[in-house]
Amino acid sequence: MIAENTQTQMRKGILEYCVLLIISRGEIYASDIIAELKQAKLLVVEGTLYPLLTRLKNNGLLSYNWVESTSGPPRKYYVLTAEGLQILKQLDGTWEELAYAITTSQNGVSKSSTPQN
Amino acid sequence: MKKTIIINIGNSIVHIEEDGYEILTAYLNEIKQHFAKTADDFEIVTDIENRIAEMFAEILQAGQVKVITLVDVESVITQMGRVQDFQTDEDEPVASNFANYTGDKKLYRDTDDAMLAGVCSGLGHYLNIEARWIRIIALCCVFLGGAGILAYLILWIAIPRAITRSERMEMKGESTNLYGYKRNFEEELAAFKENMQSNPMVKRSGNFITEIVSAIGRGANALGRALSKTIAGIIIVMGSAFLISLVVCLAAFLGFWDTETYNYFPLSIVNEGYRSTIAFAAFTVLFVPVLALVLFSIRVAFNKTAINKTLSFGLLIIWLAGVSVSVYYAAKISSEFKEHAELVQTTPILPFSTYILDADQSMVLNREDSINYQLDKGGFQNRTIVDDSDDHPFRVPRNVHISIEKSETSKPLLIQNYEAQGKTFNIALQNAKNINYSFTQKDSTLTFSPRILLKDNANWRNQEVHLTLKVPVGTRLMLNDNVYSYLNFYHYNCGADEYQKGVYKEWVMTEDGIKCKAELNKPVEGQ
Repeated sequence: MIAENTQTQMRKGILEYCVLLIISRGEIYASDIIAELKQAKLLVVEGTLYPLLTRLKNNGLLSYNWVESTSGPPRKYYVLTAEGLQILKQLDGTWEELAYAITTSQNGVSKSSTPQN
Repeated sequence: MKKTIIINIGNSIVHIEEDGYEILTAYLNEIKQHFAKTADDFEIVTDIENRIAEMFAEILQAGQVKVITLVDVESVITQMGRVQDFQTDEDEPVASNFANYTGDKKLYRDTDDAMLAGVCSGLGHYLNIEARWIRIIALCCVFLGGAGILAYLILWIAIPRAITRSERMEMKGESTNLYGYKRNFEEELAAFKENMQSNPMVKRSGNFITEIVSAIGRGANALGRALSKTIAGIIIVMGSAFLISLVVCLAAFLGFWDTETYNYFPLSIVNEGYRSTIAFAAFTVLFVPVLALVLFSIRVAFNKTAINKTLSFGLLIIWLAGVSVSVYYAAKISSEFKEHAELVQTTPILPFSTYILDADQSMVLNREDSINYQLDKGGFQNRTIVDDSDDHPFRVPRNVHISIEKSETSKPLLIQNYEAQGKTFNIALQNAKNINYSFTQKDSTLTFSPRILLKDNANWRNQEVHLTLKVPVGTRLMLNDNVYSYLNFYHYNCGADEYQKGVYKEWVMTEDGIKCKAELNKPVEGQ
């Protein structure tokens, strides 16, 4: 139960970061984000994504364009805003730090590589 | 067959099967409840609905189908994820709030678990008591002046029946969210499967009436099946034997029997040229339906298709051909009975005051007798015996009739009237001429032959002989039972209380016709 809770906490932040990374590569549809996440082996159900995207959008990190679809209703294609891009860069830095923290914690200071900046 | 429902989801129209619809509705309700606490619930739910609509569209397009099924809904839900699989931003465990949510109970009648109308089991669900206790109480109430019956009837009318799944769930106090639905649905499916295994016709419920009926039905069904199989087996055996005997008969008719056989009635009706055709036609007419019956019985007894359509049509055509040929020849032969001809021959009889009438028993010859007596070599050339005894099944119709009348003159005489049918009058006359009838007088004994003989192997054309014996008034006649059956009056017990074989009785010709002497004297004695 404790392990599960920790996993959830870890995944929560990383999921958000990954979603921003995927969107930063270009305009993308929600289910394509799911497909990308699956390839990255970060398995989530689509239901998880929609509230996340909505929240990120409301926080000004994302915006979307309506695109007509051949099958079904028009789709929301998400893009990163300037603010989102800025925050992503911050998160990149945070991730570097975290990765360093992890490897350092795992191997000790001597064996670990120094962070790039 | 399933009922479909048209829904508008994400601004697109989708046909969805009822069970899938129920699950989808429950799922969307759950999602709405789940996101109700977040600020952007409407947008999130809309996004999800749009995505579901899109997935439906993809399913419909990919599968070239028109209707979304339960399986499709399940797969969409799997892809979208259960509510408790959603990784929420808030730490509060939202999903668990709804999983085992117990809603308010509502009072319905449970007809799935009903003895009569489900009132007791419905009350049981509502009060959370096993239905059997309610039933016991209700039964006790019945004995309290019938109050229970009245109460039951009122409750029956007042309480609605749980018809839909959500009503049944409300009745049991189960939550009407997706998990409740799913559990309920699975339970129902399991119960349905169980019912299917036990008896597909009758739902397995506590209803003792339906159980009794179904038990009787099962018993009767098994008995009926066993009986029909037994009957089918008997038909197969009997029918096969009949078919074999028919084949044997046909072979006998066509090849093995000598011509003399055809002189026996009723074969003697058939003209010589028609015989084999008619034999074939009659064979077909009898053989085909019996064969069909046997094949059908094989099908009943062994549960397999013993006959295909082509074969049955072929048999039908053959049978119809046989019937038409038979009818044609029957009509042709019956036309040979169209005209009637009579020949009258009057023979004087030597006068005696008393005659003894006798049927010539010695003339009753069978075929062996004919050979033994070498009739062909004697004066009986080309004469055949039409009927050889009275006890075989194809008796020729009685063709000798004797009447005894008063003679207008003092001389006794015998009028022999030969009759026959034929296609034309000439042929009928010829047929009448073919009658060879034997009557002899030896002193006072008049001997009649009880049978007609036909010359030249003639066909039976209803040849008859009417003999009229005319004797003067006062002539006495001694008759016994040998001749009674040929006479057109019938008083075998003349003067006797019981039948006496071979005993001659005395009859007298009076002005009013022939009278039994013993009975004639009776009124005189009485006066």
